[in-house]
Amino acid sequence: MEEALLRIREIRKNFGGLRAVDGVSLDVAAGSTTGLVGPNGSGKTTLFNIVFGIHKADKGSVYFNDESISHLAPHEVYARGLVNAFQLPRLFYRLTVLDNMLLAARGHKGDSFVNSLALRQEWQEQEMKLADKAMELLELLELDHLSLHPAAELSGGQRKLLEIGRALVSEPTLLLLDEPAAGINPNLGRRIFEKIETFRQKGLSFFIIEHRVEILLEFAHWIYVMDKGKIAVEGKPEEIVNNPTFYQVYFGEA
Amino acid sequence: MDPLIYILDIIVFVGIFAIVALSLNLEYGFAGLGNFGKVAFFLTGAYTYALLSQIGLPFFLCLIIAALISASIGFLISLSALRLREDYLAIVTLTFGEILRLVVKAEHWIAGGVWGITMPSAISWAGASPRMMAAANIGLVYFCLILGFILVQLVSNSPYGRVLRAIREDETAAEALGKDRFKYKAQAFMLGSGLAGLGGGLFAQYLRFIDPYMFLPTVTFSVWIMVIIGGPANNWGALLGATLVELFSRGTRILKDYLLVPIDPNNLQYILFGLLIVFILLYRPQGLLKESQVKTKALEVISRWKKHS
Repeated sequence: MEEALLRIREIRKNFGGLRAVDGVSLDVAAGSTTGLVGPNGSGKTTLFNIVFGIHKADKGSVYFNDESISHLAPHEVYARGLVNAFQLPRLFYRLTVLDNMLLAARGHKGDSFVNSLALRQEWQEQEMKLADKAMELLELLELDHLSLHPAAELSGGQRKLLEIGRALVSEPTLLLLDEPAAGINPNLGRRIFEKIETFRQKGLSFFIIEHRVEILLEFAHWIYVMDKGKIAVEGKPEEIVNNPTFYQVYFGEA
Repeated sequence: MDPLIYILDIIVFVGIFAIVALSLNLEYGFAGLGNFGKVAFFLTGAYTYALLSQIGLPFFLCLIIAALISASIGFLISLSALRLREDYLAIVTLTFGEILRLVVKAEHWIAGGVWGITMPSAISWAGASPRMMAAANIGLVYFCLILGFILVQLVSNSPYGRVLRAIREDETAAEALGKDRFKYKAQAFMLGSGLAGLGGGLFAQYLRFIDPYMFLPTVTFSVWIMVIIGGPANNWGALLGATLVELFSRGTRILKDYLLVPIDPNNLQYILFGLLIVFILLYRPQGLLKESQVKTKALEVISRWKKHS
């Protein structure tokens, strides 16, 4: 395995009496697509939220690029190039598709109050470059014709695409995607994964939760199977499909 | 009374409250902060102005300091209050406004307590008629209003303003996109408080006498009505709302002298105000003017893209 971009070590998280994550350790290799699967309630999303700083782990640590990020707030994790796309798209629905995209830019000078007034020339130029980049991404995601429409007008699948597109604007190193293909038609689900693969070839890394295992197995390089807060099995997709524990965990078959 | 003076007086009040409405629009319309203590910052500005002008500072300095002190108090309040959920923020700010007013009312040594405080006229010259004085006040108030309007327009049509709107829509998502929501909310609250303080300073300067009864919570509510009627997240809407509410309030005050109604005519104004709000919320809940777009050069890029395809 290549050098790990993200290292999760012995993460534990309880919600009251419920042990949601119970000592999980795993690695996400740089330049890979790593999958995380498991039945509902097995702790996948909780693990993602801990990595991204939305929840604090009770125990354990998370390293990104060899730096401990366990105690950082989400906006600080984001600034380091680790970006999260939510399972249910959390768009700014009254803002336009373009505004949603531009909001995701990292290091936009006009984001600060003083600079928004003092450095108008500079941020306007940056704004034009970002708008160009946003439009390129939107074209790729087939949303460019909707750029000036409020995000509320998008269909479910389009919202999903915008959530991913927004994450891509920030030029992340690692993207956490929580069920990118859920709740949309099978065709679009596959197309989303094909787009993920083109971005991976450009150097991005992906860590993906997905219930549509058949698609994930096709695109992922390494799969972790989670059950009851623990990693039950891990391996290459072809190994996983031949592992009886996987079926036992996922489909309840012996 | 000279009818022209009355009209000039209305124009001054529209200008002062337009500034306060712009400040609430920044906080509520753009950043989604339900500040129900607007009057506290208006009061701070007014009393700061009054006390400083009694010492003999020039009026423009008094106005600037009034705005700065209001902004700093806004910052202090924001440190604790902005960590609360929306409805709690409303309660905390509402209470803060009342506490501040009661302190000023009870503590005579600060500014005369219930008897209020008078101050010398900032704008006066030998042989100035009341009409000329009122006209000079219009000049001063509208100069400040134009500056304030340019400021909020620049802020709301910038990436910074876009972040404020994003925080209003979904704080968690904004934080997930790298925006430090407390910083943004505190800044918006500070800026809003500073503007409200400027409005308060101008209010004191114009009346040359203030007392605690001028700063009841109804001041906050009428500013809210201005923003809701005009259209939140639209600075022109705040101006429109301030004008309409002020005209409506003066109009009903005159109207009640000519109407024979089986109710206390003093309450008529409140009844009509209530009806107005109900109608607006039923038939045009987004306000008279729509939320404005974030206007930056990004829009030029989009129109170029549209031409290509």
